[in-house]
Amino acid sequence: MSSLHTISRSPSSLLFESCCTLLQDGDGVLFIEDGIYYSTQQDQARPSLPEIKLYCLREDAIARGMLERKSADIETIDYQGFVQLCCEYDKVISWF
Amino acid sequence: MPATENKSAPLKKSITFISRAAPYGSNNPHLCLDMALACAVFEQDVNYVFLNDGVYQLLRNQKGASIESKTIGNVFETLELYGIDSVCVDEESLSQRGLRVEDLVIDVKLLSRQAIATLLHRSDCVFNL
Repeated sequence: MSSLHTISRSPSSLLFESCCTLLQDGDGVLFIEDGIYYSTQQDQARPSLPEIKLYCLREDAIARGMLERKSADIETIDYQGFVQLCCEYDKVISWF
Repeated sequence: MPATENKSAPLKKSITFISRAAPYGSNNPHLCLDMALACAVFEQDVNYVFLNDGVYQLLRNQKGASIESKTIGNVFETLELYGIDSVCVDEESLSQRGLRVEDLVIDVKLLSRQAIATLLHRSDCVFNL
């Protein structure tokens, strides 16, 4: 059963780090709201996760002036894409 | 009735605001700014410090309209109009986030943690949100 994890707080929350210890191959991680600040390269080396997809929500990135700053390995999606991901993964796990 | 002309000069205090929250995620950045502007209107000596995630408030190219919010970055240009000249950013918070002064919307003073500690020590009153 694949999961989509949504991260909605900034790196100072260490939410992603907590989430990473529980990820399984085939899972996805979506950065939303203040979670957007995780999407820069400067952020502490992401754990090397083989089969994990990373996404960020375009609207939240634009609002925060972070669209240009995000690293290339993160796919940008819009709200429609968000809905689609919710359907593609078996469940959604919210981290907040 | 006390004679108003005998009143001593209004008490002027040194008030420091520490804004620590990222924009849009909570209302704290706006609350902090509103308090500071109110104090400045009453001719208090205001210092404004951006610490931790608060530095994200100053990033260029913010577009709050994208999530139906007010863009907070632009608002800081009003600090100067209100006579708040002491706008400071914690150097460490900035570099930890891979940001440089060129990435920010306004001119700020870069302060070390030690310098901020001294500023707080000197202040009569500190608001921290």
